[in-house]
Amino acid sequence: MITAQALVKQYGNKVAVDSIDFTVRPGQVTGFLGPNGAGKSTTMRMIVGLDKPTSGRTEVNGRPYREHRAPLREVGVLLDAKAANGGRSAYKHLLAIAATHGIGAARVKEVIGLAGLDSVAGKRVGGFSLGMGQRLGIATALLGDPATIILDEPVNGLDPEGVRWVRTLMRNLAAEGRTVLLSSHLMSEMAQTADRLIVIGRGRILADDPIADVISGATRSVTRVRTHESERLMATIAGPGVVVSVLADGAIEVSGLTAEQVAVAASTAGIVLHEIASMSGSLEEAYIALTAGEVEYRSSSAAGTGAHK
Amino acid sequence: MSTLEKSRATFVPGPDRLRFSGVLRSEFIKLTSLRSTIGLLLAIPLFGLAVSAALGLTLEDAGLPGQASVGFMLDQVTIGTVLFGQLIAGVLGVLVISSEYSSGTIQSTLIAVPTRLSVLAAKAVVLFLTVTASALVALFGSWALTYPMFERFGIEIGLSEPGVLMALVGGAVYVGLSAILGLGIGALLRAVAAGVATVISVILLLPIVLSVLPASQLVRNVHLLSMSKAGDAMSSAAEFDGGFLNLANGYVSSAAGWLVAAVWAGAFLVLGAIRLRRGDA
Repeated sequence: MITAQALVKQYGNKVAVDSIDFTVRPGQVTGFLGPNGAGKSTTMRMIVGLDKPTSGRTEVNGRPYREHRAPLREVGVLLDAKAANGGRSAYKHLLAIAATHGIGAARVKEVIGLAGLDSVAGKRVGGFSLGMGQRLGIATALLGDPATIILDEPVNGLDPEGVRWVRTLMRNLAAEGRTVLLSSHLMSEMAQTADRLIVIGRGRILADDPIADVISGATRSVTRVRTHESERLMATIAGPGVVVSVLADGAIEVSGLTAEQVAVAASTAGIVLHEIASMSGSLEEAYIALTAGEVEYRSSSAAGTGAHK
Repeated sequence: MSTLEKSRATFVPGPDRLRFSGVLRSEFIKLTSLRSTIGLLLAIPLFGLAVSAALGLTLEDAGLPGQASVGFMLDQVTIGTVLFGQLIAGVLGVLVISSEYSSGTIQSTLIAVPTRLSVLAAKAVVLFLTVTASALVALFGSWALTYPMFERFGIEIGLSEPGVLMALVGGAVYVGLSAILGLGIGALLRAVAAGVATVISVILLLPIVLSVLPASQLVRNVHLLSMSKAGDAMSSAAEFDGGFLNLANGYVSSAAGWLVAAVWAGAFLVLGAIRLRRGDA
């Protein structure tokens, strides 16, 4: 369980995190989304005491992180893939961190195996690829067998097998009743992994809901219909709140009516439908819609194409 | 690399908890698992012994004293370890903390030890003990190595002569305190290059700059109370009773040297601790 209350972080005049409140509950995977510079990493750093809040507070499992007797057993954290000295072996890096809590070499070897690093554990971290660095970071986070896990962009640079491993691991950890907070820019990955989402933009919370609610709240569902009698169908279903548009390939998109309502109307009028489908929005669409206007670093090609401004 | 079938044990609260003894062990593992830090630890006896051997082999050209002299012997035996050792130790002290910032290790370190200050304390203890031990090897090794060379001219000095043991131990402790000075500067500046430049300035350049300034009493006093002057005092045997500290005469006793060096090292360590404790990591 992670909580934040009226959390603020200011750097000079710039407000990175603007008085946010949230609760990350155990037993589910909570996704943490937001554009670059939205305040995700800063918030995560404040949760584990690396950065000090300008005001407000965060607690992990009922108390501020630094007041725990065994912090590593409460929270496992991956913030930067390569938070290790390039000259040190992966094994010694983990051993040194484990030693602070009296965690033995047996557990260190266990997490090395878990992260699939057996073959490179004795090698110096400097030669690791980004994906290997991520695996080392995840191994570090798991060292204390923590009740809460916080991972910032854990699948960055991982191969498909690694991505799937992280997804399964997160799901399993949540199923064991642990609290999992996960940030990622890969929407498809997030859609498969998270139960709940916190979306943040320019330091403010834009959404904090179950993933299905976030998608349905920020996108519209449409019914796509294909028929030879488009004109007649449009006349049949026309009504208040119904918006119909004809796509380039001749299909019709109807919003404001469910697929069932469209099918019944067509059947009553004796119109033959060749295709009918409910199209719901994707997480990516929901995310783009939610964060539109909150994006701090927009690529110029995207900003330049719009004549509207 | 198939890891899919590997699941993990269910969360069971264990007896492990954060302890200072664990942080000490952690810092010892860190210090001894990098080639650079091990190299610097070994460099102290290496330079110390090499300089002593070179001086011992050229004793005759150096102008021999008429009779066995504790002061002469200590000069020959300690100069390599103290001169090179203070710089090597200072650089090592800077590296031990600033390389954590440059590599990002500090993040893992402070997440494991969120109270922060015990990290610096553990680093200071581990660093002081290992560096001082390394300098003890260098100094007693240098004495043993050059003993037969002195013996050839009948001017050998045993360890039991008054002041010898204390001077060798003092020299080693001075090198250990130089490492603490470096650690404090590293924690304060967090950058390898700036830290190394600063520690060299404090130890080496400050006395040089002071010696070319007009010799006012103030400049002379600061010079006498500098870090490297304290090192000279700690690694020498008092040959006359000049008291504890006599700025007018320019006399710094060994005891005063211990105090001055400890104040220098301690002051920077406190500054580093304040920087570490306050604000963002």
